Amino acid sequence: MIYVENLRKEFKKTIKDPGVIGSLKALFHPHNEKVIAVDDISFNVPEGEVMGFIGPNGAGKSTVIKMLTGILTPTSGKCTINGKNPAEDRKNYVREIGVVFGQRTQLWWDLPLRETYGVLKEIYEVPDDKYKKRMAFLNEVLDLESFITSPVRTLSLGQRMRADIAASLLHSPKVLFLDEPTIGLDVVVKDNIRNAIEYINKQENTTVILTTHDLADIELLSKRIVMIDKGKNVFDGTISELKSKYGQIRELHFETDTQNADKVLAYKEHFGFVDDDISIKTEGTGVQVRFNSEVVPVSEMLSYTLGKININDISVKDADIEEIIRRLYKREV
Amino acid sequence: MKRKLRIYFPFINAGLQEATTYRANWFFMILGNVLGCFVSYFIWNAVFLSGGNDTMNGFTMPQMVVYIFLMFLTSTLISSGGTYDIGEEIRDGSISMRMIKPISYNSTFLFQELGNKIMTVCILIIPLVLGVEICRTIFTGEIQFNIIGFLLYIISCVFAYLINFFFNICFGFIAFVIKYLWGANMMKNCIVGFLSGTMIPFTFLPDFLEKLFLFLPFASLNYTPVMIYMGMYSGTELLFYMGLQLFWVLVFWGLSKLLWRVATKHLCVQGG
Ligand SMILES: Nc1ncnc2c1ncn2[C@@H]1O[C@H](COP(=O)(O)OP(=O)(O)OP(=O)(O)O)[C@@H](O)[C@H]1O
Ligand SMILES: [Mg+2]
Repeated sequence: MIYVENLRKEFKKTIKDPGVIGSLKALFHPHNEKVIAVDDISFNVPEGEVMGFIGPNGAGKSTVIKMLTGILTPTSGKCTINGKNPAEDRKNYVREIGVVFGQRTQLWWDLPLRETYGVLKEIYEVPDDKYKKRMAFLNEVLDLESFITSPVRTLSLGQRMRADIAASLLHSPKVLFLDEPTIGLDVVVKDNIRNAIEYINKQENTTVILTTHDLADIELLSKRIVMIDKGKNVFDGTISELKSKYGQIRELHFETDTQNADKVLAYKEHFGFVDDDISIKTEGTGVQVRFNSEVVPVSEMLSYTLGKININDISVKDADIEEIIRRLYKREV
Repeated sequence: MKRKLRIYFPFINAGLQEATTYRANWFFMILGNVLGCFVSYFIWNAVFLSGGNDTMNGFTMPQMVVYIFLMFLTSTLISSGGTYDIGEEIRDGSISMRMIKPISYNSTFLFQELGNKIMTVCILIIPLVLGVEICRTIFTGEIQFNIIGFLLYIISCVFAYLINFFFNICFGFIAFVIKYLWGANMMKNCIVGFLSGTMIPFTFLPDFLEKLFLFLPFASLNYTPVMIYMGMYSGTELLFYMGLQLFWVLVFWGLSKLLWRVATKHLCVQGG
């Protein structure tokens, strides 16, 4: 469905010295520098899959999405979606896709929401009966009723985001691109939006590419993750693959009545952990220890802890995905 | 064609809604233009008084008054904000939102602005035309209004608007290159103001300059419609200048299509 091969995008950036003199100098003698936003990215997405597209700030995710949606022309490399090249046949291509950029709206700022959908209906040539059904459906999953007559500029962020997602789905696109669709939303609206995406994906077999910094989005919606950093692929696989590959982190929880348990235990000194291999959080009598089980095996950690202080309750957990990704972003693995 | 209209009609509506939402903005813009118009009236008045002659370069003072007010009406009718809008959209990256829709970029701008224009036309044209006609009647002692001349003027204004629109779009695409073009836009407005006869009638210029300016696309903007209204052209002359207008419409339309194609290749949408 989506094939991306060695995609690359360079930007020219004008470098300017600070101050008025710098501006003048740049005016007469511009000094350009090449910025490589996307270096070399490849991945495929089969039809009907939800792909989680993640990476730290500035990794190049939005730039890739812009190339896939025909807004930017790649410097080199290829992307084919549904057999079409976005940059070449923009007008025909965009008929089959839906796009949401969380940071910016595609709705007409001064039109009441209902009229915006009327405009989109004409643009995408949706027949009347289909349009009615579709609106009823979107209304149900995204709960638009309460603000559908308000002008877009008066909507709150969460309302606007729901409205934007509805707008991207009105013409039943085959592929849906979502760039941070849950940014800045409360938990209820987030749930709402996740449910809508899941429902559309299941019902219509829509292929979805989703970028987000909220890993719960990914865990709930997608099995597959593509992670990039500095414009290059870092990881491509399922969430369980990610866990088994990088999941040496374990979480130890215990309840103790020993005062200052972390001082008494002194894991760092005892085992020689370096900084990022261990972290300890104390809350009342509960203590949470995250550690790298490759440096010290779980069994050794347990017996040491049990021998050193008085434990009431203890449990060991796999690291959650957030921890793994934090370490990947910090380039520790 | 009908389908096209159905697609772009909502943009007319959107433009109209925009104009009604930002009424005050619109009102002050018009007010500013009216003031400018009076300033140039007083300047010309002084020029004529100090000259001591009844006519200057073929213009009598009453004709000059009519010229000034017609220039004002025409500039307002054919004004187009394409350069600024495109520049802004590129600067803040919202141009990408037009690109993800299966529609022609230029056309959405055109129809949105037409919607905006409806209000200007409805409110301004009747009082201004009436004012101009009353002036003319008082000065000459007889009614000058000519319905055919007026209709030709309207057609000529439509051409002029289209030239102005596509020219501004072309100029706006320069924003793709220099990314921010406020200064360039100011300069353009100034030059166009001069070359289109808004500041001084071409007859006040040396002969060769007058001839040259008449053939430049800018004369087709304000000068041609005003001359038509004032009944200065007739017969083949009229056909020729309106034909020239049509020619420039086509040239700039083609050019804007071409530039759009080139520009999108070099587009780098900012932000996000
Ligand atoms: N128009 C541009 N001109 C110059 N550099 C740019 C431009 N757009 C993006 N960049 C650079 O390209 C890199 C990738 O940006 P991009 O917006 O794709 O990141 P991202 O992965 O979406 O980050 P975030 O998670 O913060 O949204 C950044 O380093 C950014 O500074
Ligand atoms: Mg981004």
